[in-house]
Amino acid sequence: MFTIQIADLVVELNNRFSYVEELCREYKVEGKQPLFSVSATEEEIDEELRISGLSLPRAYAEATCLHRHIARRLSEYGAFLLHSAVISCDGKGYAFAARSGVGKSTHIGLWLKCFGNRARVVNGDKPIMRKDGERFLVYGTPWNGKERLGDNICCEMKALCFLERGETNYIERIGAEEALVRLFSQVYLPEDAVASAETLDLLGEFIGKTQFYLLHCNMEDEAALVAYRGMNKEDEE
Amino acid sequence: MRIKEGFLLREVAGSYIVVATGALTKEFNGIIKLNETGSFLWKKLAENTDTQALAFALTAEYDVSEEDARKDVESFVSLLADAGILEK
Repeated sequence: MFTIQIADLVVELNNRFSYVEELCREYKVEGKQPLFSVSATEEEIDEELRISGLSLPRAYAEATCLHRHIARRLSEYGAFLLHSAVISCDGKGYAFAARSGVGKSTHIGLWLKCFGNRARVVNGDKPIMRKDGERFLVYGTPWNGKERLGDNICCEMKALCFLERGETNYIERIGAEEALVRLFSQVYLPEDAVASAETLDLLGEFIGKTQFYLLHCNMEDEAALVAYRGMNKEDEE
Repeated sequence: MRIKEGFLLREVAGSYIVVATGALTKEFNGIIKLNETGSFLWKKLAENTDTQALAFALTAEYDVSEEDARKDVESFVSLLADAGILEK
C-alpha cells in the first residue's frame, strides 16, 4: 500500500504487485490523508487481461485497473482524463489528440527539438485536466504511455489540437460543435451515471474555456512551428 | 415503447448528447448527438409512450403540421428501434 498525489489529489493505492509502485514513484507522498483509496480484485485483473487479448504481465494489468479506478473518481474533484500528449511551452499547455498511430508522440518530439528548454513534456498519453476556478490545468500522471514521456508537473491549458496526417502542414481553428465530437473519442467517461453526468458537464465547461484546432501535419520540424504559430496567432493580433 | 434504462441525455456546450451508463456501456459505446427536436422526443420516450402521443406532443410544442410530426416521429422511432435503444 502506498499514497500518491496526482492532479493535487491524494490517493491511496492498495497494490498486489510492486510494478505500480515503481510506475508511480515520482508521485509518491507520505504523511498525507488520502481522499479515497483504490484496489483491484483478482477477477478484475483477469478481466483486464482477457479484454486486452495480449499476454501482459498481471502486474501491468493491475496498474491499468488501478488507473481506471482513479479515473472513475476524478469528476468528483472537477477533473477528467483526456487521452492525449501534452507539452508545455513557455509555461502554457498544448494538448494533442489523435487516433493511435497518427503520431502524437512524434509531434511533441518535434516541439522539444524546435523549442529546446522552452518546452517540456507534461504527459505523453493520459494527462488529467482539472478545473481551477475559471481555467483548466493539465497535470502529468504516472500513466504516460509506452515511451514513458512526461513528469509530475502542471500548467495552465492553452489549447487542444487534433492531429491528422497530411502532406503539408496547416492548422485551422475549429468550433465547439466539431471539437465536441472529436473530444468524446478521447475522454474517459465513467460508467456510473452520476460521474458520467458530472464529466459531461465538465466537458461543457472545458469546451467553453479552451481553444480547439485541427492540425494537418507531416513529421518535419515545420509541423511544430506551424502548430505553435497557429495557436498563438490570436494573441499577436 | 420507451428508451432502455441507462441512457443519459445531457446538454454539452450547446449540443444534445446521449451516452450509455452502467451495464449498458457494454452494449453501447460512443455518443449519440441529437438536435433539439430529437432531444424533445428522447425526453418523452423516457416514459412509456407511443407514436401517436409523440406526434401530438410535437405539434403542441412546435409549429409543425400533424402529418409532418407523424413522419418525423416515425423516422426517429425507427432509427432508435434499429439501434436497439427502445424496449417495448
